[in-house]
Amino acid sequence: MIEQSVWLVPFVYWLAAAFIALGYILNFNRGEAGEQLTAHIALSSAAIAFLLSLALAIMGLWQGPPGQVILGEWFSSGKIELSISFSLDVIGLSLLPVITLIALLTLRFSVNYLHREAGFQRAFLLLSLFSGAMSLIVIAGNAVLAFVGWEIAGVTSYLLIGYAIERTTATRNAVRVFVTNRIGDAGFILGIALSLYWLGSVEWPEIARHGSELDTLAAGVVIMGFVIAALAKSAQIPFSPWISRALEGPTPTSAIFYGSLMVHAGVILMIRLAPLLQQAPAIMVIIALLGLLTVAYGWLSGLSQTDIKSSLMFATTTQLGWMFFWCGMGWFTLAAWHLALHAIWRVFQFLASPGLVNQIDKPTPAVPEWLSRQRWLHRASLQRFWLDPLADVLLVRPTNSLAKDVQYFDEQVVTRLVGLPIYSRSVSSLSQWEAIQQQKPGGPVDVNQATGVAGRLMAWLANLLYWFESHLVLREGGASLWDSMHRIGTLVERVEQLLTEPRYLILLVMATFAVIL
Amino acid sequence: MPSLIYLMLTPFAGVLAMLFLPRDGVRLIRYTALFASAATLLLAWSYLGAFDQNQAGLQFVHQTEWNTRLGTTFTLGLDGFSYPMVLLATLLSLVALLASSAIRQGVKGYYMLVLLLESAMLGVFLAQDWSLFYVFWELTLIPLFFLIDRWGGSNRHGAALNFVLYTMGGSVFMLISILVLFDSVPGHSFAMDAMTETSRLLPQQTQILIFLGLLIGFGVKMPIFPLHGWLPLAHVEAPSPVSILLSGILLKMGSYGLLRAASMLPDAVMALQEVLAILAFISLIYGGLLAWRHSDLKAMIAYSSISHMGVVLLGIAALNLAGLHGALMQMVAHGLVAGSLFLLIGLLYERTHTRNVMDYSSLVRVMPRFAFFTTLAFIAAVSLPGTAGFIAELNTLIGGFSRWGWAAALLTLGVLLSAAYAVRTINQLFTGPVRPGMQNVEDLRPSELIAAATLAAFTLLLGFLPGPVLSLVNASAYQLAELFRL
Repeated sequence: MIEQSVWLVPFVYWLAAAFIALGYILNFNRGEAGEQLTAHIALSSAAIAFLLSLALAIMGLWQGPPGQVILGEWFSSGKIELSISFSLDVIGLSLLPVITLIALLTLRFSVNYLHREAGFQRAFLLLSLFSGAMSLIVIAGNAVLAFVGWEIAGVTSYLLIGYAIERTTATRNAVRVFVTNRIGDAGFILGIALSLYWLGSVEWPEIARHGSELDTLAAGVVIMGFVIAALAKSAQIPFSPWISRALEGPTPTSAIFYGSLMVHAGVILMIRLAPLLQQAPAIMVIIALLGLLTVAYGWLSGLSQTDIKSSLMFATTTQLGWMFFWCGMGWFTLAAWHLALHAIWRVFQFLASPGLVNQIDKPTPAVPEWLSRQRWLHRASLQRFWLDPLADVLLVRPTNSLAKDVQYFDEQVVTRLVGLPIYSRSVSSLSQWEAIQQQKPGGPVDVNQATGVAGRLMAWLANLLYWFESHLVLREGGASLWDSMHRIGTLVERVEQLLTEPRYLILLVMATFAVIL
Repeated sequence: MPSLIYLMLTPFAGVLAMLFLPRDGVRLIRYTALFASAATLLLAWSYLGAFDQNQAGLQFVHQTEWNTRLGTTFTLGLDGFSYPMVLLATLLSLVALLASSAIRQGVKGYYMLVLLLESAMLGVFLAQDWSLFYVFWELTLIPLFFLIDRWGGSNRHGAALNFVLYTMGGSVFMLISILVLFDSVPGHSFAMDAMTETSRLLPQQTQILIFLGLLIGFGVKMPIFPLHGWLPLAHVEAPSPVSILLSGILLKMGSYGLLRAASMLPDAVMALQEVLAILAFISLIYGGLLAWRHSDLKAMIAYSSISHMGVVLLGIAALNLAGLHGALMQMVAHGLVAGSLFLLIGLLYERTHTRNVMDYSSLVRVMPRFAFFTTLAFIAAVSLPGTAGFIAELNTLIGGFSRWGWAAALLTLGVLLSAAYAVRTINQLFTGPVRPGMQNVEDLRPSELIAAATLAAFTLLLGFLPGPVLSLVNASAYQLAELFRL
């Protein structure tokens, strides 16, 4: 039963990633010497994944797609039951070989392209992780499992944009891209939660089946979260600007992430949720409109680009806009075809672009005449429609100033009230170290310096109890017990001494007689 | 299975064997003591296979008539309460002996006394006759007095005397209670079984009076708040291996006795339940705050013991299954944790001769193994999840909650305090600037490493897998909890 082994597809990629990571930790594949081993592992895992997905696809063609394959229970809590399931339907089976093939080719390309790069192993590790995540997004049988792939793809994207860790722009852009994508992730989680709440399941077929029974409003609310996730991942308006920041990564990653695979994840999600989407016509209209807006944005901004990677990126954005437009119009099959063809074409273009720049000696084509005549449009195109500054003004700056206020409140009120472990002896700078050296000898004497209201209260109480303990409990029990025993002892000794004297002895004897008589 | 009398007499056989050893054959004496203790350990653990966990009553009973006129018998036996304590006692005795390599003077006497102490302690837990129990209870004092008085720190004479006087003072009340009990039950027998059967029928007023006497006796040992005066002095002044035994096992004798008393006088415990709980809370907070206040490491651990034994008392006072599970688990957990803390701090003191925490700094550089085990022990003292203490405090909290509702949340204050002093101490010992005086401190030696690792392993094992201990005590605890079901 070959469909039972579908889990192997993402798993072999991750196995390769784990092996590369282990090798790096144990220091047996570092440096240039380790490149061959790393490449072999990554490539052979990618080849296995490709062959397996091809076999699955052929089997699908032969016998018809097996549909939902449930491998076991993941976890259950109350009414919520999650299974480890895979959707081997037409969408999954047709897209999986495309993805694994592109991953294999890109990895092969990277072997030469990244040769003698300091981060060779890191790049292969992340590319393998990403390929597994991407294939999981396509074949996952439920929204939660797909979200796992979705998140791994997001994290590896963040790490690969910041691949050149020594460049500030790269790391800053990586953070920006990651945060933008998190908005989409929030939408995804919302979608998962709402489907659990309303539909009672997150399995794709269940969502599709129950979704068509929902009324328009409920379907619209459930699908809304997923739509936000898809828009963010596929760089549609208003999330588009992140994609041009993502170009900081090395070319193969640009190709695989932003040219061909990851940006299509949003479209894949829309195609998966087609039945639910069709219940909410208003949302479909919005998607179509946003798709068209993205087409216009990508086309106009692309016209004024001067470097090849940016031009390709805006072309990608335009095509993605078309795909969303198809989805909005309800032509999901067209969107799927468009997706697969575009993915293959674009990965070729991206991978070929560095070589292309070397081979052609024509100057960069000028902006078309009609655009340069429309000054405001030209300006908007150059400024990429001010989407980035707009996000800054609307989101980044308010968040920053709010954070500042909260920090002020924290320092002035909360810290004073609760207290901080100010008395910590960690030395983080040379000046601190020197200060410590100077204020020797002895160092701090008091063992418990507490700050904050609670800490002071505790210190006060501890001192009080200490006084009680040392003055009452220990003295009564210890020293004064000793003293009083001494006193009694001397007293008894004196009585004893008196008794040994003859006159008292005689007195005692007489007293005894008196008693007896 | 061999009779329990052999288990009790194995350490004593070591004492006898040592009589014939030369005074200056230090190594031979040490190995003999270790052998005797290890044999006891093996013997004690070998009962594990034959011990029936589903049976609440006594097992492996050994009974001999002692004095028929007085009604005393020589009865030994194991049940769910005493068996974990026996296992703990044999383990900690071996650890204490392993940690005794710093004793240089009077080696022969020292090891003989420690083995004698082990025999007496086993006797306390094995005895199933109140007269026998009392004899062994008093017998532990003799070796301890000499151990503290001869091998202790600078203020050892005061500490030893103080310890003995406190315990004797408590024992007097205990003895009176036992005698009154003997007098008031019709059978006129000291056997625990017979006494328990009949004493449950006594009127409540009588039960309360008898129980108060026992409470003073056991409360001194445990210790409960106003009766703890001996503990800081004795723990600080005793040599470290003896501190391990004191806090690891001797304190448990008190709570063990209290459990026995509770099953004997249920009406009294029921009436005094709130008093016990309040005392437990006071001990918990009081010990924690004073532990935080002290810069002397040994005093800190000593006060933390008061705090931890407060948890035991609270679990007993809850008088339900979860509470009893918590109390018994905490007895085991505290034995392991306090044992390893005293072991490690004692080893540190041998090397540096200072107990003031402020004198230390950045030890992790020179003694990483020590730092690892000490940090682990302190983490266990805070009862973090994954350590045995967590299971204990969780059970106690559940037990307390079902008995008193939200008031049981006060227990978490104790946890918070323990975190305060534990983290403070870890920070002070291991981090900070390098101090020249602390540059040449030797790390743990192999035998010390074995001792520390054993305790740490048990702490973690019971933290992740508390099932075996809980099922060991379950039948007995269930039987006791049934008495208090409303």
